[in-house]
Amino acid sequence: MKRILLLLTVLLFASVDAGAVGGGVVIDGSTTVGPIAKSFAAYFKNRYGVGVTVSESGSGNGVKSLINGTCDIAAMSRAMKSREISAAATKGVNPIAHTIALDGIAIVVHPSNPVASLTRAQIAAIYEGRITSWAGVGGPNVRIVLVQRESNSGTQGSFGELVMGKGVRITRSAETHASNGAVKNRVSSTPGAIGFLGLGFVDGSVKVLAVNGVRPSLPAIRNGSYPVSRPLYMYTNGQPAGLVKQFIDFAGTAEGMRIVGELGFIAQ
Amino acid sequence: MNLGTRKILDNSFTAVGMGSIVVMALALLAVLTPIVYNGVGAVFFTGTIEHRTILYKEYGRGDAKTIETQTATAERYRGEAYRMLSDFEAEMEGMPFEASSRYRSQYAQVRAAMSSLLGPLPGDPTPMLTRFQYGQTRWEKAEEKLHEILYEKKWDYSDPTVMAKAFYVPRAEAFAGTMLAPLFGYLDRHLADMMQPEFTVYWGFFTDRSLDAHIFGGIWPEIQGTFFLAIGAMLFAFPLGVIAAVYFTEYAKEGFFTSILRSANSTLAGVPSIVFGLFGLAFFINTMKVSESKSVLAGSLTLAIMILPTIIRAAEEAILSVPKTYKEASLGLGSTKWNTIATVILPAALPGIITGGIISLGRAAGETAPIIFTAAVSVGSAIGIADVFSSPTPALSWNIYNLASEHEMACEIRHVQYGMVLSLVSIVLLLNLSAILLRAKISQKLKG
Repeated sequence: MKRILLLLTVLLFASVDAGAVGGGVVIDGSTTVGPIAKSFAAYFKNRYGVGVTVSESGSGNGVKSLINGTCDIAAMSRAMKSREISAAATKGVNPIAHTIALDGIAIVVHPSNPVASLTRAQIAAIYEGRITSWAGVGGPNVRIVLVQRESNSGTQGSFGELVMGKGVRITRSAETHASNGAVKNRVSSTPGAIGFLGLGFVDGSVKVLAVNGVRPSLPAIRNGSYPVSRPLYMYTNGQPAGLVKQFIDFAGTAEGMRIVGELGFIAQ
Repeated sequence: MNLGTRKILDNSFTAVGMGSIVVMALALLAVLTPIVYNGVGAVFFTGTIEHRTILYKEYGRGDAKTIETQTATAERYRGEAYRMLSDFEAEMEGMPFEASSRYRSQYAQVRAAMSSLLGPLPGDPTPMLTRFQYGQTRWEKAEEKLHEILYEKKWDYSDPTVMAKAFYVPRAEAFAGTMLAPLFGYLDRHLADMMQPEFTVYWGFFTDRSLDAHIFGGIWPEIQGTFFLAIGAMLFAFPLGVIAAVYFTEYAKEGFFTSILRSANSTLAGVPSIVFGLFGLAFFINTMKVSESKSVLAGSLTLAIMILPTIIRAAEEAILSVPKTYKEASLGLGSTKWNTIATVILPAALPGIITGGIISLGRAAGETAPIIFTAAVSVGSAIGIADVFSSPTPALSWNIYNLASEHEMACEIRHVQYGMVLSLVSIVLLLNLSAILLRAKISQKLKG
């Protein structure tokens, strides 16, 4: 017993040095960028044998991790707020944005919903709580179940900015879900529901609405005619170097762009 | 109270007691049955040739000869289907524009469903993502995909004032009269020939790394991470807890200070685990900087703090239950206080202390909230013992949550999620079982 303990202790201490050498890339942040980060990580693991870890805790937490120096890359589905940039500056962190893909925020409803298109103003009115029934937008007389994301979410931030406009609050009756997947689950199982998702998360279980008559498609997002789209970012502290730089640059290579495309996002 | 009433009361008490035991057993059954039933499906299932190909190509397992012959057979049947596709494409080329555009979007859906069933179609570039490089690995999923090819799910939006109802239209009708029409009957008849289903026992589920964010492969990194975290937590909490318990029972003088400490300990035992998680982030990572980012070390420390009160309480109870006469005899023989504690009291209390420890170990393995911010990541490879100081790790509890809610293909890989749940429950059950056995063994030894 004593010998085993001794061996364990030796092992533990011997490994301290080894641990300091083997450093991979640590990514934290947006659940929307999650699939891209995870797929890039898998590619790097296969190709270079480099360990990349990905946590999906939301854009807001990604920034916090970057500011606290606990991650190399903050994946974000919105731009950093000025408040966050100044918080970073006080800690000596210089966040630099790298755009890795474009993403449309798809407005989704249950597939049984006959409504096919809404204007931006109608969506805002629904989320403000001024329209509470689908009858108000030419649909059946069914109560609208509002689904939104948590305040930590970059998708929520972008939605607020692009659809609701400045200073307009989403009504308190909206349900809050913690990830794109959870929103999709809720909308696909609730006939009266409306929600919003990163384009990469859309599948046959939900129906995508056209906004101002434009459906979120690759050309519509590229040329900006789909109104609810935003870039996806990876933030680094200062200009990236070494592995982190290689990782960020990968988004611009042909292979990286193909991965982004296959995941349902739009490569730059 | 007369004898009759007393008897009735007595009987009804027995009945209520029995009843509650039955209810508890049923509840346990209701919880465990679906876990076991669904979880077992991750290991025992009807696998297709795609599953065996992945095992061979990515993990180097399986018999090359068999796989080769099966692939050849499957390819022969698939080739026929591919030929129908290319024939139809040629036919579409020859059609006037209006006629071909009628088919185009429908055909795109058929093609997409086909490549999700069989893997990339001939002529398509090899996809970058592993998830698109192979067809369906499980027979029941293959049948679902076949249904998707054969029938189109449509919604009747004709009346905008009512919620639409779904109905299925056979796609064969839409392509009637074209060269694609025979494809649907062919796929229906020859699905088994194209997929080569076989009953599969995939033990690798527990020992393989995951491929492409858990879409294929196993859950070894999660299992290993769970063990690292739980054992790490034990390494910190167990010695500390036992020392604290010895202090409380043998050294501390009963008084205001001790009672404050004791109630603080009880309060700590009732603090929600997410609070420990946030504390761990703020204290161990941001203030103490035990590691640069999330790490197994930070997670273990956080879990250790969470289970410490339980260990202290269990150890205290165990020490208090050692008969006073043992201590008196030892001291009476001239032994010092410390010697008495180390050689008489602790060994006698060991069964109780260890039980408390192992039950806490089970709790540390199962907790999610403390590790969200301190140790867990949704994707990462299995880490070596050398990396525990610097690397975060995937862990069962957190990844179950991640697969249930955040994963982009959550509905496609429910079996992986169930498999993880079963593994976690089994690990906790095994730990508890070993606590019972260990306790029995030590008690027997003590009795001599």
